[in-house]
Parts: sequence; structure tokens; C-alpha cells
Amino acid sequence: MATLAERRSLEPWQDPKAVPYLRIDRVTKKFGDVYAVDDVSLEIFQGEFFSLLGSSGCGKSTLLRMLAGLEYPSSGRIFIDGVDVTDVPAYSRPVNMMFQSYALFPHMSVEQNVEFGLKQDRLSKRERSERVGEMLELLKITELRKRRPDQLSGGQRQRVALARSLAKHPKLLLLDEPLGALDKRLRESTQFELVNLQERLGITFVTVTHDQEEAMTMSTRIAVMDAGQIMQVDTPTAIYEFPTCRLVAEFIGSINLFDGKVVATEGDEVLVETRVGRPMRMRAFHPMVLGTPVTVAVRPEKMRLCTDFREDGVNQLKGRVEDIAYLGDVSIYRIRVGDGALVEMTLTNVQPRTEQALTWEQEVAIEWSPTSGVVLTE
Amino acid sequence: MRRRRWPLLTVLAFGYAFLYVPILLLIIYSFNESRLVTVWTGFSTKWYVELFRNEQLLDAAWLSVRIAAVNATLAVVLGTLAANALVRHRNFRGRTGFELLLTAPLVMPDVIIGLSLLLLFVAMQETIGWPDGRGFTTITIAHVTFSMAYVAVVVRARLSQMDRSLEEAAMDLGARPLRVYLTITLPLIAPALLSGWLLAFTLSLDDLVIASFVAGPGSTTLPMVIYSSVRMGVSPQINALATIIVAVVTLAVVIAGISMRRGREAR
Repeated sequence: MATLAERRSLEPWQDPKAVPYLRIDRVTKKFGDVYAVDDVSLEIFQGEFFSLLGSSGCGKSTLLRMLAGLEYPSSGRIFIDGVDVTDVPAYSRPVNMMFQSYALFPHMSVEQNVEFGLKQDRLSKRERSERVGEMLELLKITELRKRRPDQLSGGQRQRVALARSLAKHPKLLLLDEPLGALDKRLRESTQFELVNLQERLGITFVTVTHDQEEAMTMSTRIAVMDAGQIMQVDTPTAIYEFPTCRLVAEFIGSINLFDGKVVATEGDEVLVETRVGRPMRMRAFHPMVLGTPVTVAVRPEKMRLCTDFREDGVNQLKGRVEDIAYLGDVSIYRIRVGDGALVEMTLTNVQPRTEQALTWEQEVAIEWSPTSGVVLTE
Repeated sequence: MRRRRWPLLTVLAFGYAFLYVPILLLIIYSFNESRLVTVWTGFSTKWYVELFRNEQLLDAAWLSVRIAAVNATLAVVLGTLAANALVRHRNFRGRTGFELLLTAPLVMPDVIIGLSLLLLFVAMQETIGWPDGRGFTTITIAHVTFSMAYVAVVVRARLSQMDRSLEEAAMDLGARPLRVYLTITLPLIAPALLSGWLLAFTLSLDDLVIASFVAGPGSTTLPMVIYSSVRMGVSPQINALATIIVAVVTLAVVIAGISMRRGREAR
């Protein structure tokens, strides 16, 4: 079994010659005057675990439903394995979907639910029961096969729904909030299981989720959506470390944002003057014109306590600890700095809580390095 | 704290008495010897014997049951189609008008429905020669027009409660729309179809006013016979017939109850 790192090293989207398995070409969906999906283009490759991430109403579910054929685009085309399926109805697409509510047929047993899709394919009785057995085995629910959906727990239902959507051996599986209805504990263990399953079967997964943690742990790539548009498509690491816009930066994890403007450039670094005090020096990924309004974005865990605070030091701030949130493994400190802005910093609790150095109302100095944040232009 | 239970029990007893004593009386008096319905003289089953000799009454009962069954079946088919259209197609042309027309029979007085249908049937007979005379066909048509509205209400409630994603899931798994309807939708709304059928059956069996308008000579339904004979003094035969009907209905309800419980336990 490939490790996460190995899997991530296979990055077909980096290869210009790679042919995408699923191609979404300038798809728009209008409901009345409202654009649910607005001119979205995406290329998703064989074997990917691709997540559409966004808050509710951002159009991610509509996009997924269009891939399933449950909704038709107002304009644009969808290609699966090179074939234009834009006008192909749901029942003829080589795609299966796992619904958010699971949509198990209440009047059928687990076995019959899993068998339903196979019956539509007119497989022989023997083949059907073989395949059903295989699926139940795969998801470890063989002993539930005579039960009805209302006799199952949430986690069991999720497995049945997964078994049913995998029974037809689709090459592309769509998952609408696959873990949304599970409690936190179950969700975490299921995340890994889902990834393992996907690797083992080599199926391309496209999931929809509003849970950024879920998207981060499971995906090869994430598309962050807002108001029907795609804001950024990249690997979880890149989305987290190098967001390209404010919206993505704020949506994933927490982040400190300092508005300012470029006052100088030095090599690949820019000097930004912000409202909170002294200039900040940050690495920039593309050249910037002097005077451009920008936002310096630094994650709380990239902040550290500063031992040699200098009045003219860059990327250094002084403030007073206002709030402490103790989370066990880490603590979040909210520090009121210069002009009254709050800066968040997380520190790992190396020492037991009672022996920690920082306490409320304490004066602290913090700093970060030029490479541990990004400069956003929008 | 112990609560006193007798006030509640008294209320319950009164409630049941109010509902069931009349029916009980009717059953008791069906076994009365006397010709007078209100005077008890002794036990006898002679009215049952006479009932089974009274061909007029039996014919009327048989006609009513036939009309009720055909009516219920047609009403379920049409009512379900109408409910489907209303629930599944949110914006078709003339939807509001359709909805209004469908619910009109629920609020329209029977007298008006009966009279208007009579006028229609007469006009149709004169212009296209159909229906030829009035009887089974016209009564059934008349009953279907109003009972399908009731069926539509029942089925519509059930359909709109149903999770749409069940049908979408079936479609996603490769089932074509007709197949989805037969294997997923119909089984799930079956209870509503059954209660709609029973409702339509009862409404038809019950109807006196509309049937009186659109019935012809030689097609007298049971309520019409009972009503006209009551005017000439109630014969205990009617009691006997009513007792049989009550017995059949009770049996049907009990069977339905048992089979529903079985169905639930099987899950």
C-alpha cells in the first residue's frame, strides 16, 4: 500500500502530458437569476481524491449533482474519460454517487440495497450475489445483510451507502458530505478508511465537504469554492501554506492578516508597511509594484516568542496577552498589539500547563520569519 | 402522588358510548322479533332471512359495492397521477388552475356536483349519444370526479414527505424513470394508495345525493334504497343489512391492522 507521501508524489496535474479523467469545461448553472455555479473549469485525474470545499450555498453540491447527471448545466460541457456526458441522463452515466442522507431504500434489506444497481445492469443472479457478497465483505457489514436501514446505526448506514455506490464498480465515485452525518470520533476513523479504500480500488473520488479538516486529511487536491466560483485549486499543503487570496486564507484554518502596502522590494522579498507598526519583510512569489495594497498573512503556529526584541526589528510585534485557550496539545494565545489589533499565536504545550511561561496580561514580544507567511494581493 | 383515575375514565366511557352505543343498538335490534324497530319482543334472526330474500335490497347492495370498487380503483389511478404532477412539477403552465380544479370537489356542495353532472350527461347523450341512459357508468364517473380529489390529497401529502434523493439514488444506480417509479416510489407511497382506495370506496358507498341525481331507472344504489324505505317506516331488514356491513368493515380493519403490524415487525 502506498503511503500518503508516495501517493502525493504521483501528481498527474503537474504533468502537462497527462490526460484528465474528468474534465469540467466552463460549466455554469443558473437557477432563475442566481448563479449557483459560475463558469467553473476543472481537470481531475484518474485515481485522485478530489475535494470540493466551501461553505454551504457555495455551489459545490450543485456542481457534484451535475457530474452525477441529476442536474444539467446551463452552459459548458462535462467530459468523463474523454466522452462528452453533458446531456447523458444520470442512469446512463458511468458514475455513482453516495448521497449525503445516504438515501438507502427503506423498504429493502441491506443486501437488496446493494444489489439494486446490479439488477439494473441485468447481471445474472449468481454474479449479483457474488458481487454483493464481495461488497459487504469489503465494508465489513456481511452480518448486517438481512437488516433494514432503520435497524442500522449512522455508521452502518454510511457503510451500506458506500457499498451500494461501489457495487457497480464505477470508475468515478461522487461523495456528498460522506462523513457529515457521523459523530466526530467515527468521522476520524472513517476518514482513513475511506482513503485506504480509495487507494485499494483505484477509483477516482470527488467529494463535497464543508469541513476543511476532512478535506485536508483525505484529498490529493482541494478546490475551494465561493459564490459559485473556484477560488483556488491545489494540494492541501499548498492551500494551507500558500493561499492565493484572502478568502481561501481565512476559510482554511485561522490566520493573522495585516493590511498594508508595499514600500520596498529586495530580491524576492518585499517590505510591507502595515497599520500595526513596523514594516514586515515577507517573501513574495511574484514581483510587486511599489504602493500596491497587500495583506500579509501569517498562521498562528508560525508565530514564536521573541527573545531579542529590537525597536527597529522587522516581523516583530509587542503586545499583551488577552485570551488563552487551552486545547491540551496546544494553547492559543490572543495578543493585543500596537494599534489594538488582536494577533493569534499557537504554542505547543511542551511543559505541563501549570508551568507555562505565558499568562494573562503579560507583556510579550512575538516574531516570525519572512518565509513563514504569504503576501496576498486580493 | 397518586392521581385519581376515575374522572378520566368517565370521560373516556362517555366518548366511547357516544360513538358506539348507536351502532350497538342497531346490531341488537337487528335480532329483534318485532316489526317495530323500537320495541323489543324477543330474539330472532328472521330479518336476516328476509333480507336474503329481498332481491331489491341485495341488488342495490351489489350495485353499490361494484360502483365503489371501480370508483376507488379509478380514483386511485387518477388521484395519484394528479398528486404526482403537483408534487413533482413545481412550475408547469396552469398549475394554480389545476390545483384549484382538483380541490374544488372537496368544498363544492354535493347538490351542485350532482346537478351539474346530470346536466352534462343529458347534454352529452343528446349530442354524442353517450352515455346511453344513466346508471352504473354515470354514477361511477360522478363518484370518480370527487373521490379522486380526496385520493390526490392523501397521496400528495405522502409524496411530498418522501425524500427525493431516494429516487435520485435509484436513477444514479442505473434505473430508468419508469423503473424508479415502480420499484422505489410506488412501494414507498403504497400505504397512502391503500388508504386512498379505502377512502374512495367508503365515499362512494356512502353517497346518496350525487347518486340520486345521476342514477337512472333500474340502477338504485344502497343508500337510495335505504333512504326511500326509511321514509315508509324502517324495516328491521335495514338493521340486519347494516349489521352485516359493520361486521365486514370491522373485519377489514382488523385484517388491515394485523397485516400492517406484521409488515412493521418484519422490518
